[in-house]
Amino acid sequence: MLLSLSCGGKSERNNNNLVYWSSNNQQEIEFAREVVNDWNKKNPDKKVTFQPVPEGQSSEEIILAAVVGKTTPDIYSNMWEGDVEDYAKAGVLVALDTLKGFKDFLYSRCDSAVIKEVTSPDGHIYQVPWKINPIMMMYNKNEIKNLGYENPPQDYSQFLDASKKFKKDLNGDGYVDQWFGYSEVLVTWWQRLFDFYPLYIAASNGAPLIENNKAAFDNKYGIEVFKFLQTLYQKNYFAKERLSVRQDVFLAGIIATRFTGPWEISHADKFKPAGLEYGFTHMPVPDDHKGPVYTYCDPKNLVIFKTCPDAQRAWDFVKFMTSKQNDLKLIEITNQLPRRKNLETDPLFVNYLKDKPKMMAFANQAKYVKGTDPYSNLTEVFDIISQEYEACVIYGKKTPEEALKEAAKQVNLLYLK
Amino acid sequence: MPYMLHFFLFIAFPVVFSIVLTFHKWNIIAPMQYTGLANYIHLFNDAFFWKSLGNTLIFLAIHIPLQIIVALFLAEVLNQKIKFRGFFRAAFFLPVIVSGVVVTILWQQLYGFDTGLFNRILTSVGFSKIGWLTDPSWAMPSIAIMATWKNVGLYIILFLVGLQTVPAHYYEAAELEGANHMQKFFNITLPMINPTIFMVVILSTISGFSLFIEPYVMTGGGPLNSTLSAVLYIYKQGFFYYHMGYSATLGLFFALLILAVVAIQKKFIEKEQ
Repeated sequence: MLLSLSCGGKSERNNNNLVYWSSNNQQEIEFAREVVNDWNKKNPDKKVTFQPVPEGQSSEEIILAAVVGKTTPDIYSNMWEGDVEDYAKAGVLVALDTLKGFKDFLYSRCDSAVIKEVTSPDGHIYQVPWKINPIMMMYNKNEIKNLGYENPPQDYSQFLDASKKFKKDLNGDGYVDQWFGYSEVLVTWWQRLFDFYPLYIAASNGAPLIENNKAAFDNKYGIEVFKFLQTLYQKNYFAKERLSVRQDVFLAGIIATRFTGPWEISHADKFKPAGLEYGFTHMPVPDDHKGPVYTYCDPKNLVIFKTCPDAQRAWDFVKFMTSKQNDLKLIEITNQLPRRKNLETDPLFVNYLKDKPKMMAFANQAKYVKGTDPYSNLTEVFDIISQEYEACVIYGKKTPEEALKEAAKQVNLLYLK
Repeated sequence: MPYMLHFFLFIAFPVVFSIVLTFHKWNIIAPMQYTGLANYIHLFNDAFFWKSLGNTLIFLAIHIPLQIIVALFLAEVLNQKIKFRGFFRAAFFLPVIVSGVVVTILWQQLYGFDTGLFNRILTSVGFSKIGWLTDPSWAMPSIAIMATWKNVGLYIILFLVGLQTVPAHYYEAAELEGANHMQKFFNITLPMINPTIFMVVILSTISGFSLFIEPYVMTGGGPLNSTLSAVLYIYKQGFFYYHMGYSATLGLFFALLILAVVAIQKKFIEKEQ
């Protein structure tokens, strides 16, 4: 992979065109192609060449290989926020706040919380907040109604109550085979981005995991989330079996809820059985929770690599790509949301979303989302949490207090090194 | 010349580079930092590594005897003049050439707690279900069983070759003395195929030490790290966390360990012969 990228990268640049890599899923390729064509028509003297990120096990690995081989594109649009700090520290990203017009643009696009989130500890900003997929709770409307509820569960007590009612041994063999929800039981670090982390953000109104190079999650919110999840597994409301290797268990009615993002809509609409109605609501929160409910938004951002020969020109393209019109196009083509303020009130977006209540739910949630903390080594942080999560939540070998204390101890050691 | 080029580029350089790496901290994207013996000190204090090594040894302890017993039994059967012998020989070899990832995905379905075939069979005859991949005490034996199924065809072939080298007149003489089938097996077959058994032990030790695909795909090293093999841990250090220096240190230590085990086995074989 390294060799092929080393040999192939530079040949992509024709006539001093800038090179832009997008994600390689079909919708994003279509979006990128349209945006680049528009740009090139309007700017024939500042053309951009587009290509999807080369195929590999993950786009993260490909980008890493390109960085090592010094064959990075000039602009990349699918950088996970949690990776940016590692690349910034390695000195391969352009500090965008040094470019003309960047700060005005950023303040017009994002609120202060987002700007704080993307500002590195060194005070520079290396990424443009681009798109998000907020994690929400998908629920089966028919089943919620069958259980006697008007609305889906909003807090832990309601969730546990509904779970108790829904859990069933359908074939009478003495084993539960219908659970209220499911979350992947694998210990792989990024799985915690779809259960523990959004629940923690929801419980704590967006509190950080890491602060001042120290673990900040060993608090009452972290403990509440671990206790809640542990109860779900202990009482068999969530399956310990890997249901993800079967057919879609939500659409098959084996589970009634799922923590997921807007990408689920097109899949569910395509494959759902006749009559199945579903909706989205915020993540469950502790019973005494006050205020709006936040969630994790899986942010993917735009970056400019230092291999770019003209960062200011690349920035002009990035600005164009993240214009209001192109953000609308992003929603239309990819079913993903741009990370910009007033999404749920701006007439341009509201006019499009008003007939799509499921997407509108995500747009409303977009006001209360959080990405990752601007620290390096987040993969390891999530892996440490995941190890303790498995021991405590899934197998009940530790109390939530013990598990989080141990995780915090290990994370603190990590940042001491 | 092409061989020398290949040797230096793909063998000598990576080996030397890995050894150099063991004295450094390197996350691929930032410059290397010299850390002296820090990686080696960390290795001896890293509970996860020792756990992964222990898991690998548990796997070997189950996998090697099981492999030998099953392969030898099947080879003995397939060495007889039975119907469809050619078909059975080919059928047992088939899993060897099927991709490891495909096999693990297939077995993941078979091991499913609720819908898996094995648990359906168990419950249909009145037994309780087993958490093949979700119970920490069952997960590694389950992987060992699957690995045995996957590789047994190769060892059947080796044993068949060994069995066919045993002179037929030994058995004829034993029969004249009134030996039964078991006596012939333990007093003629086993001693005569000893070299093959040792070869199978060495080959399955080496392949067993490199256990990776099965836990990577099926369990991710869980539950509770019970299937975290040494190679999977080395991979995670290298390609999840980009601790290239530490990963190289673990790799070097592990390679030396395999070398030592195989050297001991070789010494033992030479002594036996």
